[in-house]
Amino acid sequence: MKAHSLKAENLVAGYGDDIILNSVNMKIPENKISVILGSNGSGKSTMLKTFCRLLAPKSGSILLDDKSINCIRSKDIAKSIGLLPQDSIAPAGISVAELVARGRFPYRKFMAPLTKEDYIAIEEAMEAMNICMLADKSVDELSGGQRQRVFIALALAQQTDILFLDEPTTYLDIAYQIEILDLLKDLNKKKKTTIVMVLHDINLSSKYADYIFAMKNGHLIKEGEPADIITPETIREIYGLESVVVTDPVSNSPMIIPISSHDEISGVS
Amino acid sequence: MKQNNKIKTITLIGILLLFISVILSITYGAKSVGLSDVIDALLGRNLEDYNVNVVQARLPRTLFGIIAGASLSISGVLMQSITRNPIADPSILGVNTGASLFIVFGISFFNIQSKLSYIGLAFVGALLTSIFVYRLASLGYSGATPIKLAISGAAISTALSSLISIIVMPDSSVMTSFRFWQIGSIGGTSTDDILLLLPFTVLAIVVSFLLSDNLDTMLLSEETAIALGLNIGRTRILAALCGVLLCACTTALAGPISFIGLMIPHLIRSSIGSSHKPLIILSGIYGGAILIISDVLGRILGAPGELESGIMTALIGAPVFIYIIRKAKLQSL
Amino acid sequence: MIKNEIIFHGIEKRQKHYYIAIFIMFIILAILVCLNVTIGEKNYTLAEVVSIILNGENNYIIMKLRLPRTIAGIFCGIAFAIAGNTFQTLLGNPLASPDIIGVSSGSTVAAVFCILFLNLNRGIVSIISVAAGLLAAFTIYKLSCKNGFSNSRLILTGIGAQAFFTALINWMVMRAAEYDVPTAMRWMAGNLNGITTDTLPLLVIVVILAFAIMVYCNQSIRSLELGERYATILGVNVSVVRTLLMFCSVVLIAFATSISGPIASIAFLSGPIATRICSNNQTNYTSSALIGAILVIAGDFIGQNLLPTRYPVGIVTGLLGAPYLVYLLIRQNKGGVI
Repeated sequence: MKAHSLKAENLVAGYGDDIILNSVNMKIPENKISVILGSNGSGKSTMLKTFCRLLAPKSGSILLDDKSINCIRSKDIAKSIGLLPQDSIAPAGISVAELVARGRFPYRKFMAPLTKEDYIAIEEAMEAMNICMLADKSVDELSGGQRQRVFIALALAQQTDILFLDEPTTYLDIAYQIEILDLLKDLNKKKKTTIVMVLHDINLSSKYADYIFAMKNGHLIKEGEPADIITPETIREIYGLESVVVTDPVSNSPMIIPISSHDEISGVS
Repeated sequence: MKQNNKIKTITLIGILLLFISVILSITYGAKSVGLSDVIDALLGRNLEDYNVNVVQARLPRTLFGIIAGASLSISGVLMQSITRNPIADPSILGVNTGASLFIVFGISFFNIQSKLSYIGLAFVGALLTSIFVYRLASLGYSGATPIKLAISGAAISTALSSLISIIVMPDSSVMTSFRFWQIGSIGGTSTDDILLLLPFTVLAIVVSFLLSDNLDTMLLSEETAIALGLNIGRTRILAALCGVLLCACTTALAGPISFIGLMIPHLIRSSIGSSHKPLIILSGIYGGAILIISDVLGRILGAPGELESGIMTALIGAPVFIYIIRKAKLQSL
Repeated sequence: MIKNEIIFHGIEKRQKHYYIAIFIMFIILAILVCLNVTIGEKNYTLAEVVSIILNGENNYIIMKLRLPRTIAGIFCGIAFAIAGNTFQTLLGNPLASPDIIGVSSGSTVAAVFCILFLNLNRGIVSIISVAAGLLAAFTIYKLSCKNGFSNSRLILTGIGAQAFFTALINWMVMRAAEYDVPTAMRWMAGNLNGITTDTLPLLVIVVILAFAIMVYCNQSIRSLELGERYATILGVNVSVVRTLLMFCSVVLIAFATSISGPIASIAFLSGPIATRICSNNQTNYTSSALIGAILVIAGDFIGQNLLPTRYPVGIVTGLLGAPYLVYLLIRQNKGGVI
C-alpha cells in the first residue's frame, strides 16, 4: 500500500482571537509512530485538531499528498485520516459491533445496507483490538481500557493509513496503557499504518515512538528520533525541568528521571 | 474598607431607587395624581378628595410589591447558595408550577377559598417540587450542574402543567379564575393580603439573615464546611425552608412571578461579592424596587389597561438569564 | 472473507427485530386509523367508511370531519416526532426537544398573534409561524454562540427564550377579547378540532419533503450521534448537515404547530420510545415517525371517546408524557449523559 504523506505548512491556528500555533511546519514521517510532546498549553492538541480538520487554520495549510485538504472531498479525507479524540461519547445502549460499524460511514452508499467489504473491515478492526468477544456487549458496560479499544477499533474500521490519537492512555492504569500502546505498535508493524499520538508520559513516548516532535508555546522547537530528543537539555527547554537521562535496561530507549529540589545529585550520568 | 464603601453606595442607590419607584407606583396610573395628594393621603388629610382615595387604593399594591419582590429575590439568594448553582430560581426549579398545581387541585376538588389555605397548599406544592427537581438533577456523578438543574426544572414544569390543564380544562369557571392567577400580578392585592403575608416573610427573612454566616461557610466546598464545624444538614434544611416559604407565600397570593429571584441576586452578587449579610439585605431592597418598577412599566406599556407584573418580570428577566448564560464559562455549565 | 461470523449475529438479529417492529407499528397505526374514522358520536362500519371514501360520497362526518382530522393527526404526529428526534440527536440530549428549548413557542407566539389579533386564515398563519419559528431558532442559536457553538449553552439559552415567549403568549391571551380566549387556550393545548381540508395538502407535502431530506441524511446523523468531532473525522460536512436538518425540523415543527397547536410530548417522546422498541439503538426516522403518528392518533381517540369530558389531544399526550419524562430524566441523570 502506498502511504499518504501529510504535512503542515506555515500553520497558524487558534481559538477566537487567541493564536495558539504560530507558523508551524511539520511533516509526518510515513509508516512510523510519531509522538508530539510538550507542556500543557504548548499547542500539541491544537496541532492534532488542525491536522484532523476539527479546527480551521487561520493561515497556512495542511497538505495531504501535496494537495490542500480544503480541496479534497470530506469523505475522501476520511478514508485517509482517522482520529481517536480525547473523550468519546457513545449513543446510550449501542453495542460494540454497531459502534465499530459507524466507522464505515465514509464508504457507505445512500440507503444501502452494510456490504461485504464493510463486514470484513469491521471484523479486522475488532480482531486487531482483540474485542471480538465483546461484540454484542453494550458499550456502556465496558471498562475504561475496553472502551478505549472499541473506539480505536472504530477508527480502524475507517481503514485509514494515517491515524491520530489524542492522549489515548489518559485515565487508564499502567497495564492498560501498555496494552493499548502494544496494540498500536502491532498495527504499525503489520499494516504499516502511520500513527501520530499526543502523549503526556515522556518515558512511554520514547519507548514506543520512532520519531518525536517537541513543541513549546505554539512552536515546533525540535524533532527527531527519541535518542536525539530525550536529553536533559531538551527536557529543560520544553518543560523547564531538570532531569537525568538513563537507558531503559529492557528496551534500550532513553528514559528520564526528574530531579526534585530535594535530591542530592551524586554523579549519575 | 473599599468594599464597605461600595456596599454603602449601593445601599444608598438602592434605597433611592426604592423611594422613586414607590412614588412612581403611587402617582402613575390610569389616573395620575400629584405628590401633594400623596402627602395628604399619608397624613390622613382631605380624605374626601378623589385623588387622595386613588392614592389609598394604590398603597396596598405598592407595599405588597415591595414585600413580594424582596421575598422572591431573597428566596433566590437562598436557593442559589444551597444548591451552589447560579441559575437556581423558583421559576427555573419549577417551584411556581408545583405551587400552582396544588392550588388548582385545592380549588377544584376541595373548593378551597381562603387565602391562608392557598399559602399552605402553595408551600407544600413548592416544597415537594423543589426537592424533587433538585434530587432529580443531582442524580449521577457530576451532581446538580446548572444544565441538569435547568432541564429537570423545565421538564418537570412541562409535566406538571399538563396535569394542571387536565384539572382546569373541563371546568370553565376554574379556568377563568386560574387564567388570571396563573399570570403573576400584584395588581389585585389588598391590605388583608399584606397582613397575611407579613408574618411569614418577616420570619423567613429574619431566620435567613441569622443563617448568613453559616451560608457564607457553605459556599466553600462541603468538606471544608464540615471541617470548619458547620452543621451542613441543619443549615441547608433551614435555609431551604425559608427560601421555599418566601416564594410560596408570594406565589400563593400574587401568582407566579418569575426571574426576580434569578436576576437581582446575580446583579447584586456581581457588584458586592457573595457575603450573605449585605447580599440578603440588598437583594431585598432591589428586589422590591425592581418588582414595583416592572409593575409601573406594565401599566405604561399596557395602557389603557395594564400588563401584569409577572409578564413584565419574565420579559425583562429572560434576556438577563440568557446574558448570564452567555457570560458563564463553558466548563461550569 | 469473514472468518468470525458470530460477531455479526447481534447486528443481524437486531436488524430482523427492527423490521418486525416496524411492521407491527404499521399494523397498530392502521387499526387506530380505522377506529378513529369509524367510532365517534355516530358509528359506522369499516365497509361503510370505505365505500364513502371510494365513491366520494358527500358524507359530512366522514369527509369533512373524521378523515381530515385523522390525516392531520398522522402528519402532525410525524412532523413533531422527526423534528424532535433530530433536535435530540443533534444536541446530544434526549431532553433537548424543540418544545423545551423555545423553538415551538417561538412559532406559537406568531400563531397566537395572528389568530387573536389579525383573524387570519390558517394557511397564512402557517407561513407566518414557520417564519417566526425559523427566526426564533436562528436567534437562539446566535445568542448561544460565543467562541463557537456549545450544546449546553444552546439548551440553556433555549430555556430562557422559552420563558420569554411564554410571557409574550400570556400577554396576548390576557389582552385578547374574552370570547377568543377559550379558542386560543384550546389551540395552545394542542388540538385536532376544526381542521379544514384546505390546509391538508400543504401539510402533507411539507412533511413528505422534509422526511425525504432527513432520510437522505440518515447516515450522517448516525455519525453525528458520536459527537461533532467524530462526524468530521468520518467525513460528514457537519455545518451543512446540521443547518439543513435544523432548518427542516424547524419548518416541520412550526408548520405542524400552526395547524394543530403544540401537541405536548410528541416531539420528545417519539424518538426515545422508537429507540426502545426497535432496540437497535439507532436514530431512525421511520420508526420515530410511526410512533409519533400512533401517539397522536391514539391520544386523540382517547381524548374524544374514552374520557368523561372531551379533552384536546395535547392534554392526553401531555399526561402520558409526564411519567415517561420523569423516567427519562432519572435514567439520563444517573447515566451522566450530560
